[in-house]
Amino acid sequence: MERYWNEEIECASREDMKKLQDERLAAQVKHVYENVKYYRDLMDEKGVKPEDIKSTDDLHKLPFLSKADLRDAYPYGLLAKPLSECVRIQSTSGTTGRRVVAFYTQHDIDLWEDCCARAITAAGGTNEDVCQVCYGYGLFTGGPGLNGGSHKVGCLTLPMSSGNTERQIQFMRDLGSTILCCTPSYAAYIGETLHDMGYTTDDIKLRAGIFGAEPWTEEMRHSIEKSLGIKAYDIYGLTETSGPGVSFECSEQTGMHINEDHFIPEIIDPETGEVLPEGSVGELVFTSITKEAFPLLRYRTRDLCVLSRKKCSCGRTLIKMTKPMGRSDDMLIIRGVNVFPSQIETVLIEQGYSPNYLIEVDRMNNTDTLDISVEMNPDQFSDKVGDIQDLEKSLAGAIKTMLGINPKVHLVSPKSITRSEGKAVRVIDKRKLHD
Amino acid sequence: MPSNSPVRQISVFMDNKPNQLAGVMSILKESGVNIRALSLADTKDFGILRIIVNDTDRACETVKSAGYAAAVTPVIAISIPDSPGQLSRVLDILGGDGVNLEYLYAFTGASDRSVSFVIRVDDIAAASESLNKGGIIQLTENDISEM
Repeated sequence: MERYWNEEIECASREDMKKLQDERLAAQVKHVYENVKYYRDLMDEKGVKPEDIKSTDDLHKLPFLSKADLRDAYPYGLLAKPLSECVRIQSTSGTTGRRVVAFYTQHDIDLWEDCCARAITAAGGTNEDVCQVCYGYGLFTGGPGLNGGSHKVGCLTLPMSSGNTERQIQFMRDLGSTILCCTPSYAAYIGETLHDMGYTTDDIKLRAGIFGAEPWTEEMRHSIEKSLGIKAYDIYGLTETSGPGVSFECSEQTGMHINEDHFIPEIIDPETGEVLPEGSVGELVFTSITKEAFPLLRYRTRDLCVLSRKKCSCGRTLIKMTKPMGRSDDMLIIRGVNVFPSQIETVLIEQGYSPNYLIEVDRMNNTDTLDISVEMNPDQFSDKVGDIQDLEKSLAGAIKTMLGINPKVHLVSPKSITRSEGKAVRVIDKRKLHD
Repeated sequence: MPSNSPVRQISVFMDNKPNQLAGVMSILKESGVNIRALSLADTKDFGILRIIVNDTDRACETVKSAGYAAAVTPVIAISIPDSPGQLSRVLDILGGDGVNLEYLYAFTGASDRSVSFVIRVDDIAAASESLNKGGIIQLTENDISEM
């Protein structure tokens, strides 16, 4: 029996939802135009007035916002409410360039936590559950978002944050955690540590996991589900739109329902900016129609995915997005070929290797090099050098079949690649140092 | 242990970075295992440590529980006089019977008039029979641990 947090919205008819979106969008555009000079200038430049936007059909007339705009307008340039009404900031990790700071009024926090409550409910969560949140707390949105959602649902919430994995497992066993929220790479590590400590899935009560904040593959999902004895649900979001909970997976596990009463999605051609029809692969763009303090209109996420209104067996009518095929930031262009780390991860898991790996890209004599360090599976180890080199060659061959380019594979000791407690670092692109 | 049962060698995967060998040695030191023979194969990317010890089961368990990839492989150990031409004779015997050698390494035996070798072949039974016929002394794991 499928449970909903807000059935009226989650299962609304298309007509009702569109009507709600139309009203909210028109009001939001007016709010932004009046209060955000940065965006007003962009609209004026395009010759668009708030009264031109009457419904979602007019959305395409609005100018885009990109990460570059957020950096230009840092820190207060996109703020739409006086600071006296704002109660919180969250921020991106800021690993590339200047960090993004997002502002929240209490209303914004409530709607964000409500979105997370929908995700927890879709994963089967109720007030009977013990929800262990091992996303980082602090500026990162993961911890605070799921923490708030878990409170709303009424779960007993364990605000663990990430790290100290043996203690995580101790709490998980002692308090009987039933739901785990963290990054998929940390979930994999918790599973590995559980078994290293001599426990099995019989020693824990977990039954669901809500994992997001980084790309992960179906193969990784199966491996985590097996290792922790759970059903693993994907959750999506970004600091710019609020945080996790922009979309979430249901029992069907075939993509994430977007909370489109708050966030209107579009898919565009990343080159031309043209809106693409449903079913096309393209860049995901979000318009926040309910947020007060930091309401981004037509924000380009750089995530590549597909939208679908195909009927879902869970009963929700919210539009679904596929798991992002990669953030355009994650995409590597190696010898002219587009490479996503997730493709390499798929091959590794298929071939029985651990999903902990490190990709190093460099340039030697004007040719790109691709080196992949992979943890050896202890069962495959042989005393003969040639046997290990054969394993490396065979894995390199499988990766070449997937990518179309030849990597150099280096087998390293089991568990020697640094485990991640938050977002995993899988790629080192040394070419940037030379450019 | 029957006299013709092969000697067990432990091999350990070594990443190509500092302190790898030192790490394994320190673990073995703490478990009180004594190394009788040792060789290190190296490639550009990784190395393989191969050792014969006085307590194979304990050493292997210790190294594996410390997280290293390790394997136990049967090998042949022989003892031959320490004089010119002896190894050549052994190789001629094996070659004459079509036994293919993977690798070998020398270690010091109990006596200063003899020298010992670890020999890794794919077909242990054939190699053992060939050496027997040729009158080469094969060592057991017990012989080595009592050295």
